[in-house]
Amino acid sequence: MAEAAADGFVRATGPAPLSFPADYGPHDDYQTEWWYYTGNLEDPSGRHFGFQFTIFRRALQPPAQRTGRASDWAAEQVYMGHFAVTDVAGRRFRAFERFSRGAAGLAGAQADPYRVWLEDWQVADVPGRPGVTRIQAAADGVAVDLTLTDRKGPVLQGDRGYSQKAPDPGNASYYYSLTRLVTEGTVTVDGRTYAVRGLSWKDHEYSTSALAPDQVGWDWFALQLDDGTELKVFHIRRADGSVDPFSAGSFVDQDAAVTRLARDDFQIAVLDTWRSPRTGAQYPSRWRVIVPGLGLDLTVEPWLADQELNVSYAYWEGAVRITGARQGRPVAGNGYVEMTGYAGSMQGQF
Amino acid sequence: MAEPSAPSVPAAPPAPGLSSPLWRVGWRYLLRHPWQTALMVLGIALGVAVVVAIDLANASARQAFDLSTEAVAGRATHQIVGGPQGLDQTVYVDLRRQGVATAGVPLAPVVTEVVTSPQLGNQPFTLLGADPFAEAPFRTYLADRSGVPLADLTAFLTRPGAVLLSRPVAERFGLQPGDTLELNVGGYRRMATLAGLLEPADSLSRRALDGLILADIATAQELTGRLGRLDRIDVILSEGDPAAEARLRSLLPAGATLTAVAARSGALQQMIAAFRINLTALSLLALVVGLFLIYNTMTFSVVQRRPLFGTLRCLGVTRREVFALVLSEAAIVAALGTALGLALGVWMGQAAVRAVTQTINDLYFVVTVRGVAVPVESLVKGALLGLAATVLTAAPPAWEAASVPPRLALSRSGLERKAERAVGLAALASLGLMAVGLALLLWPTRSLITAFAGTFLIVVGIGMQTPLVTTVAMRGASPALGRLWGVLGRLGPRSVVSSLSRTAIAIAALMIAVSVTIGVSLMVSSFRHTVEIWLDQTVQGDIYISPPSSTATANTATVDPAAVATVRGWPGVARVDTLRAVTVDSPAGPIALAAVDNPSVGVERQYLAVDRPPEQVWAALRGGAVLVSEPLANRLGLPRRGGELILLTPDGPRAFPVVGIYYDYTSSQGVAIMDLGLYRSLWGDPAITALALRLTPEAAQDPDAVAAALADALAPVQSLLVQPNAALRAEALAVFDRTFAITGALQLLTTVVAFIGVLSALLSLMLDKQRELGILRAVGVTTRQMWRLISLETGLMGAVAGLLAMPTGLALSLILIYIINRRSFGWTLQFQAEAAPFLQALAVAVIAALLAGLYPAYRLSRLAAAEAVRYE
Repeated sequence: MAEAAADGFVRATGPAPLSFPADYGPHDDYQTEWWYYTGNLEDPSGRHFGFQFTIFRRALQPPAQRTGRASDWAAEQVYMGHFAVTDVAGRRFRAFERFSRGAAGLAGAQADPYRVWLEDWQVADVPGRPGVTRIQAAADGVAVDLTLTDRKGPVLQGDRGYSQKAPDPGNASYYYSLTRLVTEGTVTVDGRTYAVRGLSWKDHEYSTSALAPDQVGWDWFALQLDDGTELKVFHIRRADGSVDPFSAGSFVDQDAAVTRLARDDFQIAVLDTWRSPRTGAQYPSRWRVIVPGLGLDLTVEPWLADQELNVSYAYWEGAVRITGARQGRPVAGNGYVEMTGYAGSMQGQF
Repeated sequence: MAEPSAPSVPAAPPAPGLSSPLWRVGWRYLLRHPWQTALMVLGIALGVAVVVAIDLANASARQAFDLSTEAVAGRATHQIVGGPQGLDQTVYVDLRRQGVATAGVPLAPVVTEVVTSPQLGNQPFTLLGADPFAEAPFRTYLADRSGVPLADLTAFLTRPGAVLLSRPVAERFGLQPGDTLELNVGGYRRMATLAGLLEPADSLSRRALDGLILADIATAQELTGRLGRLDRIDVILSEGDPAAEARLRSLLPAGATLTAVAARSGALQQMIAAFRINLTALSLLALVVGLFLIYNTMTFSVVQRRPLFGTLRCLGVTRREVFALVLSEAAIVAALGTALGLALGVWMGQAAVRAVTQTINDLYFVVTVRGVAVPVESLVKGALLGLAATVLTAAPPAWEAASVPPRLALSRSGLERKAERAVGLAALASLGLMAVGLALLLWPTRSLITAFAGTFLIVVGIGMQTPLVTTVAMRGASPALGRLWGVLGRLGPRSVVSSLSRTAIAIAALMIAVSVTIGVSLMVSSFRHTVEIWLDQTVQGDIYISPPSSTATANTATVDPAAVATVRGWPGVARVDTLRAVTVDSPAGPIALAAVDNPSVGVERQYLAVDRPPEQVWAALRGGAVLVSEPLANRLGLPRRGGELILLTPDGPRAFPVVGIYYDYTSSQGVAIMDLGLYRSLWGDPAITALALRLTPEAAQDPDAVAAALADALAPVQSLLVQPNAALRAEALAVFDRTFAITGALQLLTTVVAFIGVLSALLSLMLDKQRELGILRAVGVTTRQMWRLISLETGLMGAVAGLLAMPTGLALSLILIYIINRRSFGWTLQFQAEAAPFLQALAVAVIAALLAGLYPAYRLSRLAAAEAVRYE
């Protein structure tokens, strides 16, 4: 259920059936969209790497105002890419940002065959191998070339993919995830290339207005456990420091069955903090995540304290390791945590 | 200059050094002769002013060029360029997609065109279409760092016709964001909207942005109609990374070439180098004439004070101090004159900048100069030149003063005898100078500096013949004048000779100035005559149609195909010839190519050399040969016969046999003519730059009416210039005349300097002769007769200068036509002798001399005889 808002963009106002592969592609009538890949990888010697590869799309103007211009370069959409690699052994975190117009073939997205690209950064279906995609990105001596095989299919977040973020039903997004992508390929850091294997996670979300005015940012956890399950939880933080009731989560079991989690179904306690030397922002740096109903009690810790992307909007997005127990049995795993709104509010951002 | 006294004479009174009393000698002399001082100051001032003005104009033009290059090229080190139609935009997209930028080679697409707008004063502006997402490494004013301010960019990217101007430009034209700009883009009227203002960060970017209209690349494609095309791709390749350059080259498709920005702008700079050297040489000539004047006046002041210097020497003033005294006088005059000259030069520079820029725009490429920044170097250069030249010129007279023995001075007649002896020496030395000058001119080189040095030596050499010529002429004239006017008639010429030390220099200065007038006039009239003949030969169509361009030479605009169709079907049009004028690359740099389908092109040219009868040239062109213009043949060093021209076609280099070399005056860089069909098959470019129409005999009765009707009919499609033959010729000649306007102005200034020189020399002379003339008054010569005598004397001087200027001017014009012009521009001009410049020059010389004599004559005629005799 989607309707056009006063500013002319379409808003997510209620559950609407997502259909694939069509919804793998872009939704140009919504203002904002992103395809978000994160993963934890290791080379045969156990050298641990994290990677983030994200393509953001933002519409410059609502559909009704688009004029159908003659030039191929006429831009209705702007694409932004973020690419980061964490090299734990090298204690290095490198992050890159780039922009392009979504025109003239420089950047864009399509559903089938699936492809999202910004110049030479791209994620695309591998021809002839259903469910397999390839990510290629490089910048300044850092590169990834990874093949991702989907094990569980799309997991619809929120109510059948409708993820409400605030009381106004229009402050929501459509959101699905691929929570277990078996990954192999290469990571290049400082000119050295490592053969790696591991797990990746994809989020694809599109909206016109997700956050309400008093919401400043979020803490978002994508955790992949070694018993074949995944947990996603997020806190939306309000300007007064409290946690917003629209915070939510989901648990995916070995068979891709999804359990929805509401605000009160889980707790996130901050155990430690870290202050960024660049932005001065103070970020949480260790957590205890408890989901009583599922018997989950996890300690989450960054692989590297400094995984702050100091790009045009500064935020923290980093690889984390997990230890703890599920229903009394020890579990471990890796994941990604994203924290926004610590170095500046999310309001009005891409 | 203050020298301590020699320690060996301790008993002497405190040595004056150049202490106050001695300084005062100099000052007082200058103050007591305000006219002479003022004229000296003025002479130096004008000389310096002309040099500074021209230097300023050249520097400003260069700066404007650098700025517009900087504004448009930014920090690009290289550019990827395509053929005449630019590049396919996929070349850029593919390079990006292949990760060239990721590999550390920034790339930015550019679409650019020169446009005008009534809202922007109809001056040429560069429309620069760029991609803000790719701009940051290149041009700082559009994107700062990597962060792109999205809110500001939305209108710029999405609104059709959105453009940006810098705030100062918008303010100058009273424009505000939201205002509509009507752009004339190659004859098409396009509407643009001022979407915002750019705030220049510093004065450099302010000036860089001065002639710029910025647009998103999509908008620029839409405004110029170049959908799918780019004009170039800017590239930054770091030095010492040949691997990156090689990789980039390997990725380029056929038809796209990577060139260094420095090489391209260097080639453009090279084009105007000759033009600038010519102007500088002419401006130096004004200074040389000014120096004659200084030398003359200083010599006079020294001669006049010989008794004083004798006395000073008796009082124990050293030789060195006398020398310093005279030099310090010169330095004072030099300082005053130079300061005045700098101010005057900056003022005149404003006008000169406009003239120089106009010529560069007419002949070479578009530069926009708004608000002349005065480069400090120009002022320093002018100041040093003025001071050094004056002091150096004053050195011989100062030496003369210092060599006065410490007793009463030699009599004037003694000095003049000395001068007479010098006549022979000067004549001899001048022969030497002229020989060296001639050797320099004939030296087989293409250097302009050598040519000008030779020219100066020859002119100065002839100038040094003046004393001899004057003496001979006066001796010859004396009897005839005596028969005419009796004693006075004989007295005039004799008086000229008897004060030869000063008259000769005044005559020489006037002679040089006048000869320059003759030389330049003859050169210009020969040039104009040549161009007229050439226009007759070449401009054979009845009506010419082309898109209006803001410069006479820019040819990126094309004629709309719909307009071509209309013209072809127009009643009264018997034949339509089409021209495609483009610039293509060659191993020797960019070459202007004129692709034509005019079958009579072969017989409508005059040849320097041709392989076959002109009637068969067209067949040769159809067979793949080309014609090249004389300047191009010179530039490429082609042999007279059997040469070949190599051009880079989209399929790679190709050699074209040269069937003939023709005279052409459109471009000093040269042009090649090719068959249009061949060009189209090689470059795949169907566009048309201009049309030439031949009318049926009936329609040809009134080509103006046909042209007017056609212009009206075409207006809805494209606003095109539809010019009848006569109008086109008139325009070509107007451009020609505009080109030489600044030459004419310089010529006039040189004459003014010479006039001041003559006035100053005569004034000194007459004051000097006060006693002599007083005696004449005393023996009964009437005021009328006095007037006549002085006028006779000055008239004779003018006549000698004018007569001597004739052969000098002729020599100068020959040098200008056959050596300087050929070396500067590669043009062969047909020498055209005319009587008018010679007669004018004689008249100017005589009238200038007579006018210069008026004031001295007036003063002397009013002196009472007794007072005149008293003298000093």
